[in-house]
Amino acid sequence: MGDPVEHATGLEKRELMAKVAGNENPFDLKVIKRGPGTKDKPNEIPSAFDARLVGCICEEESTSVNWMWLYKGQPRRCECGHWFNLVHKAPV
Amino acid sequence: MMNKNHPFHLVDVSPWPIMGSISALITMSGIVKWFHSFNSTLLFIGLTSMSLIMFQWWRDISRESTFQGHHTFIVTMGLRWGMILFITSEVFFFISFFWGFFHNSLAPAVDIGMTWPPKGIETFNPIQIPLLNTLILLTSGLTVTWAHHSLMENNFKQATHGLLLTVILGFYFTLLQGYEYFESSFSIADAAYGSSFFMATGFHGLHVIIGTTFLLVCLIRHLNNHFSQIHHFGFEAAAWYWHFVDVVWLFLYISVYWWGS
Ligand SMILES: [Zn+2]
Repeated sequence: MGDPVEHATGLEKRELMAKVAGNENPFDLKVIKRGPGTKDKPNEIPSAFDARLVGCICEEESTSVNWMWLYKGQPRRCECGHWFNLVHKAPV
Repeated sequence: MMNKNHPFHLVDVSPWPIMGSISALITMSGIVKWFHSFNSTLLFIGLTSMSLIMFQWWRDISRESTFQGHHTFIVTMGLRWGMILFITSEVFFFISFFWGFFHNSLAPAVDIGMTWPPKGIETFNPIQIPLLNTLILLTSGLTVTWAHHSLMENNFKQATHGLLLTVILGFYFTLLQGYEYFESSFSIADAAYGSSFFMATGFHGLHVIIGTTFLLVCLIRHLNNHFSQIHHFGFEAAAWYWHFVDVVWLFLYISVYWWGS
């Protein structure tokens, strides 16, 4: 039986290769911790597309998530005042 | 053009769920027809269409996982949860037959002689074929674990041997159960004992046949190099299912064959 990464193909293989390279979260599925989120230092949201749906937990005790569409090249401010910016990230 | 950058598998439309349901209905009706009018044509049609659908459904999923690489980590987690929930539902399916068995046997009604086994029922000797079957299933649990560890250690040859032995033991169990049914002095029509005995052991036997088929599919896939050290959930699901079938047998052996005789 061969090497398991060599055995795999398609998306499964690309996920495995990311893991071999040390990236356990290649699809960015985990929650991103907000940084300062000012206009000069917006929270950077990775995406391989022109837009991504962002859910902001405005306050730590929030019981709901505030959703908004974020478009490439158009930094946007959430209702809570934090800034977000879409940055391109190559697809897995 | 790229239109996907997530690990989830958005499946294509498939005819197999609805066609499988229809063929299961035909099979079930065929069994009823066979039991009541000794005509097995409809059962044959049901089993044939079921086999064809099983072949094509398994083929499609093997293609999706091995040849198209759709089974990312999170997809296999979904498969794992699906199998866990399915086996849980199977556990409750068998609980109902054990419930029926204990309902009838713990306080035997006057109609059956207030005794269990009921008056006039000649039960199987639990230390003959049933004990052999217990040993066969316990051994097969061992060989399937051997196959699993061989897969995880990249040992193609021993994985083949372990799987092949498991399939043979499963087939041998079915053969012995068939022989025992053929030799039986009572039938499913023999009141509470016959009904609960054949309902419980019959559905268990059906599950052994399904489990053996599942393991046989894994053996064929393994011989075609479908599995790797870290990619063999199809095999693990078959092994989980096989252990479940094994455990059901232990309960059947202890309560129905041994205590119940
Ligand atoms: Zn917010």
